[in-house]
Order: sequence, then C-alpha cells, then structure tokens
Amino acid sequence: MSDITYLPGKEPHEKEHRLIFKNVDRKGWDPKIRTYLAEGGYEMAMKALKMKPQEVIDEVKASGLRGRGGAGFPTGIKWGFIPPNNTKPVYLICNCDESEPGTFKDRYIVHQDPHQLIEGMVISAYAVGAHVAYIYIREEFPEAAIILEKAIADAKKNGFLGKDIQGSGFDLEIYIHRGAAAYICGEETGLIESLEGKRPYPRIKPPYFPAAIGLYMAPTIVNNVESLCHVVHILRMGGEEYIKLGTPRNSGTRIVCVSGDVKNPGYFEIEVGKVTFQELLYDMCGGPKDGRTLKAVIPGGSSSKILRCNETFQIGRGDDAEEMTFWQLPLDFDTLAAAGSMAGSGGVIVMDDTRRMSWILNNITHFYAHESCGQCTPCREGSTWMKKVSDRIEDGKATPSDVQVLEDIAYQIDGKTVCAFGEASAWPVEAMIDKFRDELVGETSDDNDTRSAERIAQEQFLSSVPQ
Amino acid sequence: MSSKIEAPRPRSIDRSKLSYVSPSAPKDREVPKPRLIDRSDVEYIRPVLTVLEKNVHSPVTPGVVHFPQFKITPTLEKAANKRIAQYPDDQRRSAVLPLLHEVQHRHGFISPESIEWVAEKLGIAAIKVVEVVTFYPGFRQKAPGKLHFRVCRTLSCAMGGSYELMGKLCELTGIDRGSADTHKDPISVSPCGNYSVEYAECLASCGTAPVCLVNDDFHEGVTPEKAESLITQYES
Repeated sequence: MSDITYLPGKEPHEKEHRLIFKNVDRKGWDPKIRTYLAEGGYEMAMKALKMKPQEVIDEVKASGLRGRGGAGFPTGIKWGFIPPNNTKPVYLICNCDESEPGTFKDRYIVHQDPHQLIEGMVISAYAVGAHVAYIYIREEFPEAAIILEKAIADAKKNGFLGKDIQGSGFDLEIYIHRGAAAYICGEETGLIESLEGKRPYPRIKPPYFPAAIGLYMAPTIVNNVESLCHVVHILRMGGEEYIKLGTPRNSGTRIVCVSGDVKNPGYFEIEVGKVTFQELLYDMCGGPKDGRTLKAVIPGGSSSKILRCNETFQIGRGDDAEEMTFWQLPLDFDTLAAAGSMAGSGGVIVMDDTRRMSWILNNITHFYAHESCGQCTPCREGSTWMKKVSDRIEDGKATPSDVQVLEDIAYQIDGKTVCAFGEASAWPVEAMIDKFRDELVGETSDDNDTRSAERIAQEQFLSSVPQ
Repeated sequence: MSSKIEAPRPRSIDRSKLSYVSPSAPKDREVPKPRLIDRSDVEYIRPVLTVLEKNVHSPVTPGVVHFPQFKITPTLEKAANKRIAQYPDDQRRSAVLPLLHEVQHRHGFISPESIEWVAEKLGIAAIKVVEVVTFYPGFRQKAPGKLHFRVCRTLSCAMGGSYELMGKLCELTGIDRGSADTHKDPISVSPCGNYSVEYAECLASCGTAPVCLVNDDFHEGVTPEKAESLITQYES
C-alpha cells in the first residue's frame, strides 16, 4: 500500500499502522461509492455472504477484537450472546453517538469513509442474522447524517443493501436515526430507549442485556463505529493474522485521539500496546508547547481516571510485577486498567503545568451534571452536588473539608447507579482528588464561609429573637 | 442595622370584593368589571410567579421572524411518512426523534402545535412527545436567531479558549447572557434576532479545539480572535 499518498501536513506518523484510517486525509479520496469500489470495496462483504454466519463469528472471535467504544468487551463473544432458540427479529445498531469528551475518531470515519462502515455493518448483520440495522448518529453531526444517507442510497443502488444482496438471499436495510445531543445515548441501553422514541433512561442489567432483550424487546447487538469497521479488516486479513497485530489479549489497531496541551494534537492509529505514552506524546504529538512541561493526562475520554505524568505504577502481579513510570506505559486495555485507569474510547487529553486542576475538575463536573439523565438518585443529585462543591473550590471560596466532601460524594455514587454513567461521573473526581489533593486543598482556606445566604439570614434571624 | 427580618404574612381576603362572581347576585344588577390586578397588591404570591416565569419560557424571541410558523404541508407529511417507514409498523413511536428533527429543521424550534401534530401522526399521547422534547438538549422550545452558534464548552475546547470565544461572540452580537442558567434556558438571542448562542457539550472534534457549530455548519480551530470573521462570513 505504499502508493497511497496523503494530503500535505496530514501524513501518518511512521509508528502508525493504518487500517481503519487508511483513507482518511488521503489525496484524491472522497466518500463516494465509486472511489470505494475502485479500492476493492465491498469485496469482504461478498466474501462474508459466501461463508456461514457462524464462520464469520468464529473469525471475529479468533481475532480477539475488543470493542472500541469504551468498555473493551470482546466483539465476537458479544455476538455469541444471542439466544440460540430466538424467534424474534435480531437488530444491529451502530453506536455513532460519539460524545465522550476527548474522542473524535468516528467523526472522520463517517465523514470521509462511510462505505467502510456500511460494509462492516453488512458483514456484522449477516453474522448475527439481522435484517434491519440502525445507525444511531449524534445530532451534532448534521453533515455526516447526510453523507451516510447518501452512502446508504448508493450502496442500495449498487446492490450491496436491500433485498437479496448480490444474489445471496440475504436482506438488509440500514436506516439512520439521529439523536438529539444527549451524552447518555452513548450508553447502549439508553441508546435503545432513545431509538424506541423515549427518554434515554438506561435499562437495568440484568435482565436487559441487549443481546437477549434489546430494541423492541428483541435481541440486539450494539457496536461502536470503529469496532464495525475492524470487522472488514479481520475478514481481509483473517482472524489468525489480525491477532498478530498489537499484543496478546489486546489485538489489532486502535485510533487514539490526542487533544489539549501538545504541539500537534490529532488522531493516530496505532497497534494496541505497541506505543507508549512517551512515544505518543513526544514523538507523535511533538511534546508540550514551548517552555511548558506536561502535568497530567486523561488516557481514555473524560470518564477515565486521570494519571499524573510523574507517577510510577506497579503493573502485573507476583513474579511478573514490574515497576513502570507513566512514560513507559503502553496504550492498551489491560495495562491502563492495571494502572488504575482505563483505555476507554481512546481520547487522550493532555494538560500542562499552566493548568489549575480545580478548573479542570470544575469543567468535568459541569459536563456530568449537565448530562446526567436523572433516572437514578445517586447520579442525578450527586453530579449536581459535585458541580456545586467544585464551583466553590474553583472560586477559592471552599474550606479544606470541602475536598473531603467532594470525595465522599464521588464514592457514594460509584457502583450505586443503574448504568455506568454514574461511575463515569465519579471516577474523574475520585482520581483527581487522589492525585492532586494537595493542590486542591491549597486553593481552599479555613477562613471561608460555605454557608448559603439563606442559612446566614436564618441564623441572623434566630439570633435576633429574644431567648 | 436592624437585623429583624419580617416574615411575609398572607393577607386576608376581602370577601366583598369578590361579589361579582357570586352566583346569588341578582341578574338585573350590573356586574362590576373585573379589577385589573395590581402587582403591588399580590406581593406575597410573587415567589410563585418567578418560579413559573423561570421554568416556562415563551417560544417567542426576537429570532422568531426568521422562521415560518408551523404548518402541515405536503412536503412535511411526505418526509414524516418516509421516516415512519423506517421502523416496524407496531413501533411507530420510534419516529418521535426523526419527526421532531424534521419540524425543527423547517421551523427553527418545536412549538406546541407541532408537538400535537407529531403525537397525532404517531398515534401516541402528546405528553410522550413533550417528555422527549424537554429531555433532549438538541430540541429547542424557543426560536433561536437566524444564525445559531453552538460553542463547545467541554474540557479540550475550554482549554483551547471556548469560554473566551463565547464572550467575544456575545460582545459582537450584543447578547447579554448575564446569569443565564445554561441548564434551564440554554439559548440566548440577540435583541436584533439575527444571532443566538448556546453552549454545547463536546462536539467531538477535540483535536482542533475550540470548535463550534453555526446552524448546521461545523467550524474548527475558532480561536476567540476569529470570532469576528466567523460572524462576518455569513453576512451577505
């Protein structure tokens, strides 16, 4: 593939390994079906349709592909959860509600290479036996929705969608469903509720595992855009070959999105676990801006726990345990989990020494307070309290005990909510206090009065009443 | 300073003033005209009014002149039917979001009449549409300006200067956001009705922060200095 040239200034870094992003920023590339077909597009879909569905699932299982949406659950195993005696229709949903702060990979796939996603969906739908598939796209991508509609119409015209695809006897319709700017719709059961035309209140698991009881109470597979695109490449390379990319248990490539205080933020498709933070932030992103040093990094979207750049971690157990500095950490699912954070959706947010951590914390708590769906109490109330307390800390009006209050609230939310959103709102707060307690406490003062105006008036009134 | 705080005391109602609604009033007697309510008279119920005023917004803003009033047209019906056909016959409710998008795209915001229409079209109770409209930040219940700016305020963009960008946009368009509660009332419209601003939560382009959406057009790398050219490029 050495004949591929990219737009000037957008060339991939030599440490990248591009599969999904092969055509992103490519010279002479456009999202039209003609361009995609000229590059061997839809060949893998044709290949899959000649295989048995179980063979496709086995291939994906063999590849060890882990979901790229955030949780990192193995895709092939998820597909295998559809009850074998199922009589209801099966649905496939592509989760294109990319709203995790720090993540911007799906944007480029759907804007620049929509047919790759559609081909991945054809293969996946065939494997799980779905005849109707929905692409849940976030409202903030109005242009992408138009591009995808056009791409679906073109694919249909060329016989890659619709009835009896290329004489295989397999039918598939793909529809676009636009969301409406709610972060919670990225949670799979919330997304399903939203697709049913309701408020996206996540369902409780068990029993509502989508693979068993999902959309319209029928088995439903929800996959991220990037995961579905990987399926095309797994079929092209074969599961055995694909698993050789990356490291064991963390196979394949993934797109890492870097934003914040580095010289060249952007997206990089790397082999999972083959690139360390040192290589990513210094070699690929050009290091910190002039005269600054890096302070902290959020490794997988704003929900993941923040890591300090001067930390050392104990990775592995027993004899395998080794000490690693932050810079030596490879970007894969398991190492980041061992370091106490998560690889999440691959959104790396970098902060340098000019940033006040109370300000960062305040911004994050505002996000979660705004986006909490309000279904269950710990998250609805807790996220608002965390916002209020962090407002105080940021304003310099807090007392040292407020930091403790904030930490207590976060641990009260963690693990007590219907969906993972509760944890997602608590984790950044817990980690921020854990790693930067001194800095946060340093912005508080014992002299501050945290009583509310009503409380002060009440106390004044009571003291004025003759005893 | 006297620290004594007077608790407001409810006034007793003067029954004689209510005589005109009395059913026993003789018919030939002239019924006195209803008195105009003097605001100073009803001081003690003002807190209730402010809560209502805070939560129930009129859809009318200076921007309303830019959008046609809601009307059921054949093109709207056709677009709606196409959307409804995407879902199984017994699951028409799924089309709530697509239909609301069709309405908002044409009419700028979701009006009460359009909610009635969507409910009727899908054969569900209007409240089920209302609950959707009030939940999603993507649906507006009041008219935005002709140019609606949605500035991303989430971490990467905030670090890139989106708060300053918002300040600059407000300054240039004459919008006073004041103490606007971004949760209850996210949209601020300029007095001329041409512009409106809103904070958005993560527009998913953190690498090119700060970013914003102007109507359906996406702009990246909009530093506060570029705010002016962002506005002027739409003037023609």
